[in-house]
Amino acid sequence: MSLMSLHHHKTSTILRHVFLLIVLLVCAYPLFWMALTAFKLEAEAQAAPFALPHRWVLKNFAKVFNSGDFGHAYLNSLLICVTSVVVAVVFAACAAFAFALFDFKGRNVLFIAFLLGMMIPVHVTLIPLNLLLGPQYLNIKESLWALAGPYIGFALPVSILILRGAFSTIPNELLDAARIDGCNAWDVFRFVAIPLARPAFATVIIFNFLTMWNEFAFALTLLGPDNATLPIALNNFKGERGMYLAETCAALAVVVVPLLVIYIFAQKHIIKGLTAGAVKG
Amino acid sequence: MFILPALAIYALFVLTPIVGSARMSLFEWGGSPLPRFVAFKNYALLLKDTIFWRALMNNALVLVGSLVIQLPFSALFALFLSYKTCCRTLFRTAFFAPMVMPTVAIAILWQYIYAPEDGLVTKLIQLVGNDDFTFPWLAMPSSSPFLPSVSLLCIFVTICWQYTGFHMVLYMAGIAAIPDELYEAARIDGANELQICRHIVLPALKPTIAVSATLSVIGSLKYFDLIYLMAAGLPQNDREVMATYIYRLAFDQGQGRFGYGSAAAILLIAIALVVVLPIQLTRLRKA
Repeated sequence: MSLMSLHHHKTSTILRHVFLLIVLLVCAYPLFWMALTAFKLEAEAQAAPFALPHRWVLKNFAKVFNSGDFGHAYLNSLLICVTSVVVAVVFAACAAFAFALFDFKGRNVLFIAFLLGMMIPVHVTLIPLNLLLGPQYLNIKESLWALAGPYIGFALPVSILILRGAFSTIPNELLDAARIDGCNAWDVFRFVAIPLARPAFATVIIFNFLTMWNEFAFALTLLGPDNATLPIALNNFKGERGMYLAETCAALAVVVVPLLVIYIFAQKHIIKGLTAGAVKG
Repeated sequence: MFILPALAIYALFVLTPIVGSARMSLFEWGGSPLPRFVAFKNYALLLKDTIFWRALMNNALVLVGSLVIQLPFSALFALFLSYKTCCRTLFRTAFFAPMVMPTVAIAILWQYIYAPEDGLVTKLIQLVGNDDFTFPWLAMPSSSPFLPSVSLLCIFVTICWQYTGFHMVLYMAGIAAIPDELYEAARIDGANELQICRHIVLPALKPTIAVSATLSVIGSLKYFDLIYLMAAGLPQNDREVMATYIYRLAFDQGQGRFGYGSAAAILLIAIALVVVLPIQLTRLRKA
């Protein structure tokens, strides 16, 4: 845990802290500025960007709630992300279980086919998906549920890889014992494998949820104008009211601050979920 | 069977589109209502398309920047934080925070920071000197085909803001895994801090560096949101990376060049496989 030396120099320690503090200020200032600007009058936001608000006003937020469709967008994002995460994780868990514990024909080929999905930049599928979900075939383009297929499909490879890793660390003796006690494959899956892989499930759920919550390209291409998710609602708001600095900062705050609050309270899990998701995937 | 549901969705929404792209890339399909089979004409055109090459170049430039600038700094921050530090958690939390934000929000925020007349960067320069200073940070085309534009550099700063904390956390974990005995032994042998970093920490971090670099390579092929939103003010032949070019070919108003865009997409897959597959296979074999 520590490189902490027994005899480190005072000056170097101070210099190190000063350096880190400067980086912290540069890093945090944009967010700080966004929050302050959201409470300013427009003229003030333009004229004195670095100052504290002369008078703290809430009318920017009122504007955001009236003209932006953020309540609706929150609901849409929640619906599509929760549904997609649940389906993706359940299906991925089943597949990962089979990949980890059963020996069947074509196992490696199938597994590699899934892994290929992680190397493919998702944007190459925008054009064909646009067609596949369009009126000629599935005809769900423009609706919120158009996102479910691609979201689930692209969440599967990472999830399967991580869960398979967790399932294959379960000791064989434990599985044999369960079978001797009369468990079939499904029981082993439910009562032995899933409880033992809980941390891996946490990683997969957090990683996929945040990825979907912040996803932009698919939503931009596949959603109709009435079904915006949060990133799209934000982008639309910028398009319409972008010249009003204070209002747009309020809209940004409405989207970003709840995420940051959750992040601060659950940072251990979120940092672990995002890094493990990216590294193992 | 356990795999079937996953396989069905994966086949329908990931594999089918890729095959579909490959097929579509052989057709000319734009203004005309019916696709016309043109074999490899789209690919031949792409190889002569200067925007395509510029887009690929921009991908490469951002990647080089990530490897040469972002990764060393992430490692340095991690190293600094691994010494006994006041409020270490605060630093880590703050540096990592941009990772949880939607890229759209980051792009909008930084567009204000880079606004030509009243953005924060411009205002800051006005404060310290020239009152009349203005500069189109995000609309400066590049001067040479092999150099990044000023705007791309500005966007690169934003990319660093977004991802440095993430890589830093990777390096922190790597440093934390080094056993304390190694340092103690080195100190007893009279090594100073620099020597310890050079001869103990750096070699021990090799696997972490490999992971962090791999993620940068994979990530660099997937740049979309930030470039699409922030570089929109640049001239057409300057603002693209591969993913945004594919998107704009197909979906920008009046374009609808699905065949041509698909050909670009297939080339991007090919590049991804050639670059990423060997790296991933080595990693998986180790794991």
